[in-house]
Amino acid sequence: MKRGLIAATGVAAMLVSVAACGSDGDDDKAGADGFKGETLTVWAMDGSTPDGWTKDVKAAFEKKTGAKLKLEIQQWNGIQQKVTTALSESDPPDVLEIGNTQTPAYAQTGGLAELDDLKKSIGADWSKSMNDSAVYDGKQYAAPWYVVNRVVLYNKKIWAEAGIKDTPKTRTEFFKDLDTIQKKTDAEPIYLPGQNWYFFDGLTIGTGADLVKKNGDKWVSNLADPKVGKAMDIYKQYQSFSKAPKDKDEATPQQAEVFAKGKTGAFIGMGWEAALSIKANPKIEKDIGYFTIPGETEGKPEGVFLGGSNLAIAAGSEKQELAKEFLKIALNDTYEGQLAKEGGVIPNKESLQTQLKGNPAAQAAAPAAATGGTTPLIPEWAAVENAPNPVKTYMTAVLTGKSPAEAAKSVEDELNKRLSQER
Amino acid sequence: MAVATERQDPGPAAAGVRRGGAPPGPRRRGPGAHGRARLIGAAPYLLLLPALAVTAVLLGWPLIKNGLLSFQNLNMRQLIQHLTEWNGVDNYRETLTSEDFWRVTLRSVIFTAANVVLIMVLGTLVGLLLARLGSKMRLLLSVGLVLSWAMPPIAATTVFQWLFATRFGVVNWVLDALGWHSMAHYNWTGGQFSTFFVITLLIVWQSIPFVAINLYAATTTIPGELYEAAALDGAGTWKSFASVTFPFLKPFLLATTFLEVIWVFKAFTQVFAINEGGPERLTETLPVYAFVEGVGNQHYGMGAAISLLTIVVLLALTSYYLRIVLRQEEDEL
Repeated sequence: MKRGLIAATGVAAMLVSVAACGSDGDDDKAGADGFKGETLTVWAMDGSTPDGWTKDVKAAFEKKTGAKLKLEIQQWNGIQQKVTTALSESDPPDVLEIGNTQTPAYAQTGGLAELDDLKKSIGADWSKSMNDSAVYDGKQYAAPWYVVNRVVLYNKKIWAEAGIKDTPKTRTEFFKDLDTIQKKTDAEPIYLPGQNWYFFDGLTIGTGADLVKKNGDKWVSNLADPKVGKAMDIYKQYQSFSKAPKDKDEATPQQAEVFAKGKTGAFIGMGWEAALSIKANPKIEKDIGYFTIPGETEGKPEGVFLGGSNLAIAAGSEKQELAKEFLKIALNDTYEGQLAKEGGVIPNKESLQTQLKGNPAAQAAAPAAATGGTTPLIPEWAAVENAPNPVKTYMTAVLTGKSPAEAAKSVEDELNKRLSQER
Repeated sequence: MAVATERQDPGPAAAGVRRGGAPPGPRRRGPGAHGRARLIGAAPYLLLLPALAVTAVLLGWPLIKNGLLSFQNLNMRQLIQHLTEWNGVDNYRETLTSEDFWRVTLRSVIFTAANVVLIMVLGTLVGLLLARLGSKMRLLLSVGLVLSWAMPPIAATTVFQWLFATRFGVVNWVLDALGWHSMAHYNWTGGQFSTFFVITLLIVWQSIPFVAINLYAATTTIPGELYEAAALDGAGTWKSFASVTFPFLKPFLLATTFLEVIWVFKAFTQVFAINEGGPERLTETLPVYAFVEGVGNQHYGMGAAISLLTIVVLLALTSYYLRIVLRQEEDEL
């Protein structure tokens, strides 16, 4: 009996110990005369800060303010819990990198400092498509840092074999090219599994659709909107050129590894996925080309999902001014440009995109960034993307024969349930 | 009312105290001896004190805290701003009316049953083998068992992940070499059943030593004469197992099964580390479900409620054994 109880209690103890709250601390000294002797702690995510950029920004910051910069690299795994806990403590990190789609959720918690004045002083020409994620309830809660978005990666050898000379400028041209590859070669024209959900999200941005709408004071599914259906139709046309499974996403199997076998004309992915292909098959390197996902008309690229990060200041930090100094340095044209050049990411100002020259993947991605978007920027959205994501279920349903309206109806309850989760 | 009764009639209450108190013997001795006897009487409790204190701090307090959390709406915002929002039994109501919870509960029960049956059958067989082996082979097998028992769960899980890796795993390589070429790049964590297969293999492998060594220890308590007597009566191998070995092992089997049910049911490390409850949350057992809902989705109050319900389910599962133990204790009284 006792053993059983103790063991059972152990389960609970194990589970709850993680949830224990941080302690309320008492306030340390507030403010300081000058920044000398202070240390600013910055949390950046693994892979976000190239070495040269880090070295130069650190030097510039320490020279200008006299304070020390402590950069702590965080792993993506379990980051949300870690940030939540950190923000609840009395001594949080001063500056944090936060995923752009997660920013509204943190803004909503009151854990991030409001940055309206910073936006006024340095953010006048931040790209609007990037800045949207940093604004919640009309207030600025973070500064846009960088984004990355999807492009078409194609196999030049297969395209040449099919006799195609130029990369497509419109969606119609793209479909025609895929059709040509289908007819003239034995390659699969494009590899597109049924649940490449971020590509689909981009298509909905392209058709101007919203995935959710407000019903009274609650967010509900808007998948039944014909504009969503139109985006899904486009997806279905792309998918008809692929033999990829309709119920899997691009990671199972890794689409880059499928592409590496050299029997696939193209796939839609991130620029860095080329490295995965090359790792799987080094001979493919010389055949890989990139182009912007073409839209309905020439000169207007397809809508894309902008995955990226913002820099925010913890509301509980006692070094607000110093933290703002850091943002002003890290985000100025010199260092923001250097980040784009070194990291191959899209910078927060269109004027800095010249830094991407010499990086074909980033150059293909950049034109779409201005008209790109994200997932719905509401704190409730995070719950929707937990597996099994009902939007993915919707996609598979349409691809396996249901009409968009029917499919929308079949996942509506689940989507609404997730949107109404108490916060 | 009750107080008044006591005042009027102290007789039965006093008798009650005497009946339940220390044995009457020492009471008749002198005052000094009386004190020492009291000390001796208290000794077992004093010795228990450190263990009880540690249990209270490390298990009792978190359990109480967990209980309190389960009646709160505690999410990111409340945690960051240190808000306490009581919401009554909302968490419990929502959990108990959700289809997911019951599906996961059923899955956990089936998972536990399958694992415990495998562990008990294979563990018992290995235990009996130990009893029959010569001393050198027995030592070899014992060392092997102890080593796998001593392997930390995360290390074991990592090794299993490598063994079953899709592209470079030795399991796929062996299957391919043996002629199953379709298994060359098989994704073991891609499906519900194959993921559970790997988890089950890992858990069974880790638990067999405990059962085997326990059972082997139990067989050493069986007097050899009984087997001789059985042989004289013409009992074959099976018969002597059924009428001599098994009756001796029964209490051990019962106790070990009980412990294994608890161990498998609460196995979190292995299930979570292999595939984090995936694909598509299809291999979440109750402890993993509580963790994903509570910590993963940052609904800490909800997670607390689920974890407490998990304990209730575990108590229900082990109620058969608990009843036997309680009845035995009553008999002893």
